[in-house]
Formats: sequence, C-alpha cells, structure tokens
Amino acid sequence: MPKIEVNYKVLERLAGQTWKNIEELERDLVNLKGELDGREGDELKLEFNDTNRPDLWSTAGAARALRCYRTADPPSYDFFSRADKPLEAEQRVIRVDPALKDIRPHIAAFVARGPALDDAGLRDLIQTQEKLCWNYGRKRRSIAMGVYRSQQLHWPLTYTARDPHSTRFVPLGMEEELSLVDILEKHPKGKEYGHIVKGFSLYPFLQDADGKVLSFPPIINAAHLGAVEVGDSEVLVELTGTELPSLSLAAAIVACDLADQGFIILPVRIEYPEPTPWGSTLVYPYYFQPSARAKTSACTRLLGLELSPDDITTALKRMGLEARFAGDSFEVAPPPYRNDFLHEVDLIEDVMIGHGLTRFTPTQPRESTIGRLTPMEELVRQVRDLMVGLGFQEMIYNYLGSGRDFIEKMGIDGSHLVRILNPMTENYEYVRNSIAPNLLESESVSGGAIYPHRIFEIGKVAVRDDSDVSGTVTLDQLGFLIADRSADFNQINAVVYALAYYLHVDWNVQESSDPRFLPGRAARLVKNDQTLAVFGEIHPQVLENWDIGVPCAYAEWNLGALIDG
Amino acid sequence: MLQPDLLKSLHPLEIKVLLSGLEVLDAPLIVEKLDYKLGHALQSLSWLSMKNLVQETDRKTLRFYELTDLGRVWLAEGFPEAKLLRAVASGKRLPLSAWTGELNLEQSELGSAFGRLSKEGFLGLDSEKNVIPLQTEEPAWFAIVRHLLDRASKQDLLAETDLGPEELSLMQAMARKRGASGAAFKVVERDEVRYQLTDLGREVREQLRSSGLSGEEAGALTPEMLRSGEWKKLTFRAYNIRVPPTRVLMGRKNPYTEFLRQVKDKLVSLGFEEFDGPLVETEFWNGDALFMPQFHSARDIHDVYYIREPTHARHIEEPWLSQVAAAHENGGGTGSRGWGYRFDHDFTRRLILRSQGTVLSAKQLPRARVPGKYFGVVRCFRYDQVDATHGADFYQTEGIVLGEEVNLRTLLGLLEMFAVEVAGATDVKYVPGYFPFTEPSIEVHIRHPVLGWFELGGSGIFRPEVTRPLGVEVPVLAWGLGIDRMALMQLGLNDLRELFTPDIEKVRLRRAQGA
Repeated sequence: MPKIEVNYKVLERLAGQTWKNIEELERDLVNLKGELDGREGDELKLEFNDTNRPDLWSTAGAARALRCYRTADPPSYDFFSRADKPLEAEQRVIRVDPALKDIRPHIAAFVARGPALDDAGLRDLIQTQEKLCWNYGRKRRSIAMGVYRSQQLHWPLTYTARDPHSTRFVPLGMEEELSLVDILEKHPKGKEYGHIVKGFSLYPFLQDADGKVLSFPPIINAAHLGAVEVGDSEVLVELTGTELPSLSLAAAIVACDLADQGFIILPVRIEYPEPTPWGSTLVYPYYFQPSARAKTSACTRLLGLELSPDDITTALKRMGLEARFAGDSFEVAPPPYRNDFLHEVDLIEDVMIGHGLTRFTPTQPRESTIGRLTPMEELVRQVRDLMVGLGFQEMIYNYLGSGRDFIEKMGIDGSHLVRILNPMTENYEYVRNSIAPNLLESESVSGGAIYPHRIFEIGKVAVRDDSDVSGTVTLDQLGFLIADRSADFNQINAVVYALAYYLHVDWNVQESSDPRFLPGRAARLVKNDQTLAVFGEIHPQVLENWDIGVPCAYAEWNLGALIDG
Repeated sequence: MLQPDLLKSLHPLEIKVLLSGLEVLDAPLIVEKLDYKLGHALQSLSWLSMKNLVQETDRKTLRFYELTDLGRVWLAEGFPEAKLLRAVASGKRLPLSAWTGELNLEQSELGSAFGRLSKEGFLGLDSEKNVIPLQTEEPAWFAIVRHLLDRASKQDLLAETDLGPEELSLMQAMARKRGASGAAFKVVERDEVRYQLTDLGREVREQLRSSGLSGEEAGALTPEMLRSGEWKKLTFRAYNIRVPPTRVLMGRKNPYTEFLRQVKDKLVSLGFEEFDGPLVETEFWNGDALFMPQFHSARDIHDVYYIREPTHARHIEEPWLSQVAAAHENGGGTGSRGWGYRFDHDFTRRLILRSQGTVLSAKQLPRARVPGKYFGVVRCFRYDQVDATHGADFYQTEGIVLGEEVNLRTLLGLLEMFAVEVAGATDVKYVPGYFPFTEPSIEVHIRHPVLGWFELGGSGIFRPEVTRPLGVEVPVLAWGLGIDRMALMQLGLNDLRELFTPDIEKVRLRRAQGA
C-alpha cells in the first residue's frame, strides 16, 4: 500500500484549511481510506489503502480530496480534451513510430507553465512520479514518466524504436555518452528496469525536432533536457506505457496536481501511425472515463438505509462527484483523475463514505443459521482429548521448513515433498510431509526438560499425489513421540492400541520397511489395504542426525482415513 | 519461639539422635550408640546441622578402607597366596607356570604370591621345578587378611582407627588410593566432624520429649498394615506438608490451540459452520475468483510461494473458470465493466501455497446455503521475512454470511457482535477500508480492556464480480479477524514465533494469563 510524504503546511495550504490538531487530520483521512503512518515535525507520512485511487498519492491529490469532502464542492478542470472536443495543441505534437507497436506503443504528454517550481513542489512531483510508476504502473512496466525543460526543446517530438547498440546519449546522472545497451548494464536505473525492454530488438526512444534526446523510456532521461530543477517554470510531462486507460489516468492525475498548484496546463497532440481504440490522434490531457451509473434501489439495498436523492447528491459531491438523477438511477461522470468505477457498488461505496459511515447504525442479522464444526474438527477434538488422557503434551508447529530437516535428517527420499519454487530462505523451502521432523526438532532442543517427553501434534501435512488435479494432497495427521531412556516399541504400541480401541478402529498390524524406524521395529496399522498409521522405534541414525541422545518411539496417524473409512 | 514446622520437618533419624541424650556428637559415636549405618549417621548430622540444632566444633580427616570388586573375589575364592597354598597342599605337583591356568590367576599375581610364600618359608621347588609345600601350617597373616575382608564386606567402610597395628600394615599393603581396580581395598578419606548440641537443639529435644515423639512412628501406611490391622497399634509420623512435591508431568492441550478452539466454539455458537481446505491452491482460487486482477501488485512473485513441481493444476472446475474469466475481461454479466484485459488461462492454474483465508470463503460460495454463515480458522503462507510480527505461516480467521438481508448495516451489526463476543471489546469504531474483493469495505477497530485500540479485522460485502460468477445471487458479507494479537495477550507473549515454539519446557509451563 502506497505511503507518501507530505509537508503539513503545504497540505494545509492546498486543502484550504488548518487542522486544530493532528487527530483531526487523522479523522478526516479516514474518508480517504488513509492513515497517518508517522510524523517528524511538519513532515507527515501518510498511507493510503485503496490501490485503485492513485490520485490520492500526492500532496495535491490528498489535499484535493480533503478539501472536497469538507466543502462538498468538486473542482473542475478545463484543460481536458475529449474524443469529440480536442483542444488546440498548436505546435506541441509527438509522432509515434509504428515499430513501437509491440514494444511500448503509447505515450501521453502535456506542458505545464506556471510559477517557478519550488523545492517542495519539485519533491512532490518526483514523489508522484515514483508512486504512480511503481505502485500503479507496475514498477514502470505499464507506466513510466519523465519531466523535461520544455523551453529548451523544439517541436514536434518523435517517439521511436531505435537500435540499442548504435543509439547513444548522455543519461541523467552520468557524464559520458552511452549506448542504450550500455545504459542497461552500467546505469543504476538501467540495471533496475532493463528487464522491461531487454527482450526486444529495438528500444523506445524520445527526441525533439533537432534530434536532441529527451529520454530512453522507461529507463532514464537525458542529462540535459531531462534534468528539471528548482526554478524551472515550464515543464513537459510525458508518460509512456502499454495500456491507454491507465496511462491516460496517470497523465490526468499529474496534470490536475500541477493545476492545483497554479500551473497552466497546455495540451500536446499524439499522432499515431495507425488508429488506437481511441483514434489515431489523441490530445492530452485526455478525458476518457465512461460515466458510472447506479440504481437508487440498489444503493438502499446495499447500504441498508434509504437515502434521498439530495442525500446521495451531497454525499457524492463530498467524494468529488456530480450526480444526475433519472428515475430510479443516478449517473456520475467521474472526475478526470479517477477511473475506479467498475460496478455500481463502487459508486454506492462513495455514497456511504460521503454520507459518513458513522451515520449508519449497526443492526443485528436476524436470519437464523445452524453452526457446526467440520467432521474433521470433531474428530480432532476427540483425538486430542484421548492423547491428553494418555499423558501427552500437545505442541503446535509451523508447516514450512528446510530440506535439511524434512529430508536429510529423516533419511528419506524427498521426491514426494511439496517444494517451493521461490523460497525466501532455505529454512522455509518445503511443506512438511509428516509431523515427525517437528516433534524430533522439539526433542533435539529440549534435552534439558524433565523426562519422559510425551508430545503430540494434530495438524496438516502435504505430499505430492498425482491422483489430485493439483498433483498434491493435504492430509490431517496426528503425530506423537515418546522420548525417554526406556522409550521403545512396546510403549508406542500401547498408545496405538489404546487409540485404536477408543476410536473403534478395526485393523491389523503389518511389518513396515519405513527407513525412519529401526528395522524389525516398524509397523503399519492397516485397514482394507489403507495405511491408517505407522509407528515404531526411530532409527538411531535419525536420532544421531537430530543430535538426540535418548531413544524415541514415534507414531503417525492419518486422521482423514478414519473419516473416509 | 520455635518455628512451628521445625518438629514436623525432623526425620526419624534426626529425632533419635536428638533423643539419644548425647551432647557431643560424631558419626562413629552415633553408629555405636544408635546402631546406625555410617551413612545414616553422617546424613542425620548433616540435616541437624542445617537446621542449626547441632554445630560443628572440631574436624579431622580420617582414613577408611572400602572393599573393591577384586576384594569381593578374594573373599569368595580366597586371595592368591591362600589359593596357591591350598592347591599345593592338596598334593598335586605342577611347575609354577602351570598353576596360572589351574587357579585362574594372572601370571604376575601368581608370581608375587609364590615369591612371598617362598620367602616366608612356606613353599619351595623340588628338583623337577614343581611347587611343593614346606610347612603344614598356613601363615598367621592369612587369618588377619580373611578377617579384614570379612569385616569390610559387612561394613560400608572400615575405619583406620579400628585397625590394630598388624592389621594396619597388612591393609596398607593391600589398599590403593586411586586406580584401585588391581587392589582389594580402596582408600577413602573423610572428614570426621564433631558436633555439639545447640541451644535450639536442646529446646527441640525438650519439645520432642514433651510431645512424646520417639522417631519410631510409622512412615508409609502399607497394604500389609491394613490387612493385618497393625495400623491400629501404630502412631504415624506427621509429615512436613510444606515440602515442595516432585513435578507432575501431565498430558495437556497446547494453550494456543485451546485459544483457537475457543474462537471456533464462539463462532459456532453464533451460527457459523466451519470450512477447511487444502494448503496448495491455484492462482484461480487464491486471487482470480476474488476478482483480483492478474496484474495486481499483491499477486507478484514476491508475494506468494509458488510450488516447484507440479507447477500447474491440470484444470480448473467449470463453469467457475469461464465465468470468472469473463468477469475479469468484461464483467461477464455481473453488471461490471471488468478489468478489461485478456484473462491468462495458464497463470490461473499456477499452483501456490494459500496466501489468504478468503480463498476458502470463495470456494465455499458455489456450495453455500442461503441464508448461510461460514467460517474457517486456516493456515496461510505469506512471502515475508520471519520476525516477531510475521511468521512463515500463520492462522487467519475468515468467513462469510449469505442472505437477502445482508447489507452495510447488518455488516456493522455482525462486526459489533464479533467485537463484543469474540474480542471482548468495550468500544467499537468502523472506518472505510479497502480490499480488492469487497465493496463497500470496512475496517473495524476496537478498544480492548487490556490492549487498548487496535484493528480487529477487515470486512465488506463481496463484489458482485466475485459472487455471481460462482453462482451466488444474494449479497455476501465477507470478514476476517486478526486474532493473533489477542492470542499473544492471553498467553503473555509478544512474539508470534513463540506461538509455534518447539521448546517442550516452554509449552509445558505456558498458561493463559489470569484475568
């Protein structure tokens, strides 16, 4: 979930309000699904939970939402082009190379002219860029953004696909000219984001009419044109990406943020070589959002409270939305910086927040249902009681562990274990196939605890099994261990017999060749050719592997087999 | 004033020593007067000293002799000299070397026995080098050695002071201090301590006399006493009931599973039916069915554990797969516009470890009753660095409510019920939340009498894009409770890893905190 840093004073200025104390701000942030995550003087850390609201991830965006909620007066922006009403972009044109079609086809751009950028404004712009590209743009895969000194470049620009070996320029943060290939190898941003373009034979490239380089999207800007500084008062904002809607939304958000800070937004026209779903020329910032509709009756049903059209209208205004009613329905044209209305429920949630969650009183559900546990849980409880009666201490363990513990120390062939492809460390690389390694680990770390040790766990294990569509199966198992100077087959056998009696298990015992047990002292409890349990004396080699100094006898039951049978 | 328990704490061995009338005490004296074994005498003096009933006045180091295993062989079979002399006296004539096998003696033992006896003039060699007797008597020291062996076998320790001069010199020749395996006696040195009765000792002695205790009172009541009726004639020694008992090792449930059981019982009592499922899941159920777009940041390789082999489930059950895919692509008749991307049918079969309990809520939908309430307390796996607040795997408590009357207000009502009934909250607060699969979404924060304000859980009403593709037309309320914090509090812990500790002693001693 995105966290942003904002300056309290700047936030107050942009939101047009001062909070009496930080708690008041926190209370208001709730309506943005946000919270205060930390504070150092005037520098606040805010966290926003809604990953579909990238418009909140900047000081200007958060301030806008706070202001709007308080005043119920949504802002309007007049610099958006629409499909039927493109604004005049004059000479500000970007031509797109057809060769980019399968690489990184789309670009959006606008120019912001206004007051000189101050330090806070520049930092906020960089932060917006990072959050949009990282959290919303999937780490620059679907959105990357660059900002340039627009007064120093000559229109039209060209967005092209270029040969990575022969194309060279000086990237931001370096002194010398590098080829695009070298940038991927040598520049820190190249190393971080190079994987996005590496599979292609040509790389995206942006330059102006004189051939001056703007950037190598989505990797790095050029050192000269792409180095925006405090004091710059006209900048070109450009975003490249793979999907038009998310790209256009990101461009709209940055434009609205800059507009809120006093900049005038000037349109840029993108000329595609062939038509996009939205046409072959697009003027940015571009309003593309379809209107969202909801039924009043659906609103009443979902919220459990009947709200009048006036209530709904006011609630939606607080959320920045202007609603129009027609019969049982209301319709909203989303503000240009939002595109999170997939279903009428999204609109209804905005009604809920705008109306104020505290104004909905809880009511108890009255529909009567019957509670019950799973048959397995019922059995688990019965078995747990028996094990306690038999003098065993119940343990509970993590299910993930290492191949060292689950396979090597147990002396088994590990091919039937469920193994993780991307373990964080080798300590958590396998799902356990048995409770035995966990109980033996307990014994290996508990040599100081008074003997005898009688411990058990009831829990799940997983093993590979091709009979299931997932190629694996999860089993509910009971494992118990006796560790003591006198622990032997007879002792564990006695417990197995007691359990079998009280669980009404009709069984017979067969020899087993389980390598975990001492040969000749390993048994299987079998019913209708199905193994219900294995038990015996743990092999001294296994004990040595675990560095255990006392004899151990062990049994493991497949509880599922008791229910199935 | 006497400590009330002092009399009761006295062992019969101590009582008899006190009542013996002796004012100056040492172990040999007690052995003599009270017919104690030396060990008992030393033990009783040590106990009395600890209770300040006697005090040390004098200490000297005494030497004792203890029979070794070899000494016991000598006692049973005779020492080498005796064996040799007796054998030769029987009339058999053999050269010395031949007697080793005959007598089961080492060559060196036999050599030194013959050397000594020939030197003392009892044995000699004939012209054929056979060993022959020279006297009919045996040496006088044979009897002394036999006597020493015999005495030492009857007492634990033979005191040096009890030995006569001849005995002493023979003993010194036979005994060794260390490495006594080749010797018949081992030298043991002990401090002999002399004690004097203290004033407290005298006072206790008076108390004993006036209370009529003799140290002869019976200890354990036995079946034999009951059968014979002997118990009627006996007085029984009062025990010191404040002595800590030996540790009982009992069978016991794990306090954490007990906590989870309580939560389950509470939910059942509120009308919820339990569900469960496998640890290995598909991306379909773990994310797609919950309408999380396949490109969602929480579905990155760094957020879930992928199974190495097999990598994919063979298929996903229809019609759920097609309906869910349609919801993602274009809404699929759910009233949604969908996410507008091409649903990846390979990715959806990818096998992973379940990362959220909501998976099972989704899987329950196709088979759920209406109205219905379901819950699960299930193990989940999250790609996280393991630390005090993140486990490799952990329990999540999740559930759903289906019904015509499900709406925001009944959702709040349900959360209020959980807050009060499950968490014992004194105050409840709701704020808008965000979950990819619910709209609206609510977080519930509670004030707990001990923990203060904290987030109890998240909840919401499933998006129609979740419910309709899985065949459910009524609204479904989904909720999850973070109960780990309450578990830690109840068990007095502050590290999640401790809930799953392998340490047997910690688990044996762990208990729920008092109210």
